Amino acid sequence: MILKATNVGVRYGAHRALDAFSLGFSQGEIVALIGPNGSGKSTALHALAGLTSPDEGEVVLDGREMRAWKRRNLAKRLSFLPQAPYAPDDMSVEELVRQGRFAHVGLFQSFRSEDREAVEWALESTGLETLADRGLKALSGGERQRAWIAAALAQESGILILDEPTSFLDIGHQVEILELISRLSRKRGVTVIIAIHDLNHAMAIADRIALLSAGRLVFEGSPTALSGTGLLEKTFKVEGEFIQSSGGEAPYLQVRVRR
Amino acid sequence: MSLATPRSARRKGVLILPLTISALLLIASVFLGVVDLPAKDILAVLVGGGSDDADLIIGTIRIPRIVTGMLAGAHFAVAGLLLQAITRNPLADPTILGISQGATLTVAIFLLFTVYGASADAHTLYSLPLRWLPLVASVGGMATGFLVFWIAIRNRLSLLRLTLSGIAIGATLHALAMGMIAGWGSARFEIVMQWLSGSLYARSWEHVIFLLPFTVAAVIALPLLHRSLDMLRFEEDVARSFGLSYRLHFSLVLLTACGLAASAVGTVGPLIFVGLVVPHLAHFLAGRRFGMVMPLTVVLGASLVTGADLAGRLLGQAEEIPIGVITALAGAPALLILLRRRS
Repeated sequence: MILKATNVGVRYGAHRALDAFSLGFSQGEIVALIGPNGSGKSTALHALAGLTSPDEGEVVLDGREMRAWKRRNLAKRLSFLPQAPYAPDDMSVEELVRQGRFAHVGLFQSFRSEDREAVEWALESTGLETLADRGLKALSGGERQRAWIAAALAQESGILILDEPTSFLDIGHQVEILELISRLSRKRGVTVIIAIHDLNHAMAIADRIALLSAGRLVFEGSPTALSGTGLLEKTFKVEGEFIQSSGGEAPYLQVRVRR
Repeated sequence: MSLATPRSARRKGVLILPLTISALLLIASVFLGVVDLPAKDILAVLVGGGSDDADLIIGTIRIPRIVTGMLAGAHFAVAGLLLQAITRNPLADPTILGISQGATLTVAIFLLFTVYGASADAHTLYSLPLRWLPLVASVGGMATGFLVFWIAIRNRLSLLRLTLSGIAIGATLHALAMGMIAGWGSARFEIVMQWLSGSLYARSWEHVIFLLPFTVAAVIALPLLHRSLDMLRFEEDVARSFGLSYRLHFSLVLLTACGLAASAVGTVGPLIFVGLVVPHLAHFLAGRRFGMVMPLTVVLGASLVTGADLAGRLLGQAEEIPIGVITALAGAPALLILLRRRS
């Protein structure tokens, strides 16, 4: 376990956004956090990324309590991409990706060759070399999301936490992002923790699934194990059935829409 | 060098025209004025000779006035640039933190006590107790800035909260100041109005010396804060995730902006449009050369105030037109055009 949450509770006023949340993560795996709107996915990711201090419990990264980490050291180990992040209008793709090197370069040092290589690698991995000089404003939704992922990659952090990176994208771009994430995990051993709305995408990409409902973790295990529990249907209040594919892929939830 | 600046984008050519204009304005400001001095006399003073009259006018009136204006202009413009960047609000300027309004109220209170305390007769005209005004106004401006910041910090440093409480507190203080001034009597009304509209009238080397420590502090701080400024343009979560101690750096930049704005308001009065317009103009001229935005802001801020003062002196002759009036009249249309171009 490189990253582990134990009994984490987060409250916003009287509202318990996250309650007794415990989950560990190993090197190189992809874990998908799923759950209805307001179930605490985003709060859990913020706590895991060290952006929200839990009111109860603790988050431990590499054996050290999250609070004991210095911001810059933490950024070398872990990168977080919020949902629909804001970028200054006048920034280009390359400029955004260069910001990802901040943790390595710091406030005063200048860019070294290893920083330039990391930026180039990040642009290349996301297929953005030809768009490097393009302003972020002039990109499609999918390209912009890739630019943000490239900035997170340039951090060379080993753990990537993504909050719904495929929302607002069309199906083609969604698949493109998921394939990119999956490739990174396989080739570079990056640990990916991803909150995602599309259940079937979660089942397809994740090694493990964590299901949240009203701030509590109600399931944790493989996609196949989840399909047998009936929890998805109950948590999301839908009717449907799992369809096993013949190609050895994860089971597929067919949701019934009454009309 | 900024993290956001690739090598190709660091051409300095864009500075040439503003620097030339700035130099021309500077020369014009020294040579032109209400008192018509022959150019020969002025040149003589500048090389260390000249008549006593010319020396007095140039050395103790015109030059300190110009230097005060240039420093104050640069202060306002840089404060505006910093505030616009960290609040991600294109309309931010020193008024958004209540700095100008806080300074106005303390000046009104100070004048009430000193002038009213000296004589209760509303028809007597007093000269402004100018010596203390910069300090009084700066303290009031900074105190208001800190109050607004403190309210925002207590609310998890919400930028919206920062802006809203700044506007609310600013409006309240402004109303209080106006109420005081209105209930005060006509002859005194004028001296506050003169300060309020922004003026370089009778500014001396004392004012330069008052501004300089703030200028020097900012000149030292800004290169150190350069990269954090890039980072602070992102949302808090993103900046922290990139590795920035967001609140620390936000506070440092805000403190710098607050010091620059409050000291400038203190010395020349609230020149609102300078802090608002100049950063937009600098962004417009710099285009994608981000490294040039800060130098352009400094040069343009200094030139705008020098130019406005020169225009005010020449157009109004003995009755000077306050710089605040000129900057607002010229600045408002410029801002509208720039905002249109950007969107």
